[in-house]
Amino acid sequence: MAANNRRTPLERVEYAIIVSTLLLLVVVTVQPLLNLLAVSLSDPAKLPGMSGMEVLPRGLSFDVWSLLINHPNVRAGLLNSILITGVGTLLNIIFTALMAWGLSRPGLPGRRILFIMVLVTIVFDPGIIPDYFVNKRLGLLDSYWSVILFKLVNAWYLIILIRFFEEIPQELLDAAELDGSNAFQTFWYVVLPLAKPALATITLFYIVFHWNEFFRAMIYITDQGKWPLQVVLRQFVIGGDKLAIVGVDAANNYTGASQIDLRALKAGMIILTIVPILVIYPLILKFFTKGTMSGALKG
Amino acid sequence: MVARQEQQLAATASNGNVPVAESANRLLPSTANFGAKVRQWWPYYAMMAPGIIFFVLFHYLPIWEAKIAFEQVRIIPPNIWVGIKHFQVLFTSPVFWQVLVNTLIISGMKMAFVFPVPIIVALMLNEVRSGSLRKFIQSAVYLPHFLSWVVIAGVFIAALSPSNGVVNDITGFFGGQPKSYMTDTGAIRWVLVFSEMWRSAGWDSLLYLAAIIAIDQALYDAAEMDGANRWQKILYVTIPGIVPTIATLFILNAGMFLSADLNQVINFSNDVVRSQIDIVDTYVYRIGLQTGEYSLATAAGLFKAVLGMLLILLAHLFSKRLTGKGVW
Repeated sequence: MAANNRRTPLERVEYAIIVSTLLLLVVVTVQPLLNLLAVSLSDPAKLPGMSGMEVLPRGLSFDVWSLLINHPNVRAGLLNSILITGVGTLLNIIFTALMAWGLSRPGLPGRRILFIMVLVTIVFDPGIIPDYFVNKRLGLLDSYWSVILFKLVNAWYLIILIRFFEEIPQELLDAAELDGSNAFQTFWYVVLPLAKPALATITLFYIVFHWNEFFRAMIYITDQGKWPLQVVLRQFVIGGDKLAIVGVDAANNYTGASQIDLRALKAGMIILTIVPILVIYPLILKFFTKGTMSGALKG
Repeated sequence: MVARQEQQLAATASNGNVPVAESANRLLPSTANFGAKVRQWWPYYAMMAPGIIFFVLFHYLPIWEAKIAFEQVRIIPPNIWVGIKHFQVLFTSPVFWQVLVNTLIISGMKMAFVFPVPIIVALMLNEVRSGSLRKFIQSAVYLPHFLSWVVIAGVFIAALSPSNGVVNDITGFFGGQPKSYMTDTGAIRWVLVFSEMWRSAGWDSLLYLAAIIAIDQALYDAAEMDGANRWQKILYVTIPGIVPTIATLFILNAGMFLSADLNQVINFSNDVVRSQIDIVDTYVYRIGLQTGEYSLATAAGLFKAVLGMLLILLAHLFSKRLTGKGVW
């Protein structure tokens, strides 16, 4: 903003309106989440009268959270999600970087054809039924691989990385080669360290993607023990009857379970699913914001 | 600007470069045969191989599998080729036309009501002078972009609950009757619109904000010399400055018109409101994977894919024509 300190009263009012509108937007964004957190932490006895506007728990009880943490489906879901996200992201980043590196080399024979082959997949998607049959044919149904492999290389992120690799000065690569480095060594010791910011951004993209994915798991994984957290959450919140959630066995094991409010359970489950995103959120803000800004600038 | 120049420099610098592994053979005649070239480049092909295999298996094999749309599935293979029979069934099916219309209506509503919001948010954010206040607002409003649709549906189901949801609590405060928005056929499309807004308005403003920051500061200074106030600066400098970005994103959204977001709809759907928000993708999912009419579902999916592809290519073309910037 230009140095303009002479502000008229009208301008001050305008400014106040703008800032309060934005703060209202913040409230609209955050309040529903805070309310859910408060509901999940409230004393079950005081819950019935609790309004959706409140953001502080009424009383304090960790019953819902301890039930959730000990719930077999939730536990399995958490572990499955961590497994899928961890293995998936690792494979994603390795194979995306390798392919991007190859495609970024100007003289590579067939480079253009391969690039077009990638572009086609962005534009044309034959839909979920053929995809289902491919997974079936490859024997991936009911296996973690059906959710891990299908976006092994994301075409968009691949293109971002290709653009990034293309900017690495050729002199640097030549120098490495003069030192006796082969193509693999150059990639590992020169290219990857240079690409750290881009790789970090794409890693976060992949983490968020894997963590939030539910549709594939829902159609490809029938074994409930392999469900990721999102599918368990879906069963809780959208499928939502209490017995299904607490489970007949669990209802017997946890004496308090039948007293626990369904609303609080759902609320806790939603918050639990968000926690990992919140943990990496500062990183997301740091990398994504910068990346998106400079990406937009460069066009 | 500087960034762009650097990029161009980098591009010219790396053009016509000889690969690392090959530089010893720089003086080879250009007629060197293809096989020799491939041999020189083998480490790169080895590195790319898993990625290429992935694209073939998970993107090109499905295209081949889509032939089922032209076949009669039999329990004992092989399937019989029936040509466009399933497409004829599809196009004479009232249900299919209904889901097509639903898709267009929902996309249209999002275009009209969700699309402008991030522009307004960006314009407002740009006026915030305090850096820390702006950062605080941004870190709050960006968050929903990173939540799954399952989570967002859960948040909305809670917020719209007739008994203790925040929305009904507020309307009740002003004397309104509690309303069950999630099971109201008249309201459910608006629920889709608002949940999309909640999710994307903040994050999408980032792109416009980036465009605003790229505007030459001299233009603002000149406007100030001419005595422009805040609104005049926004109207005559900022908005014209981001019109190309607005146009590009608008065209891109238009390219996505046949995808009203499966993940969203599938989580906001229930038996009461299904007829209102059943879109092509949920239709394909339902008749394909739930009812087992694979051929018909694939035909519907292919129809959407082909139309969608044309729209995206058109959007790309327009975007390039308009701003010189393509989608890829």
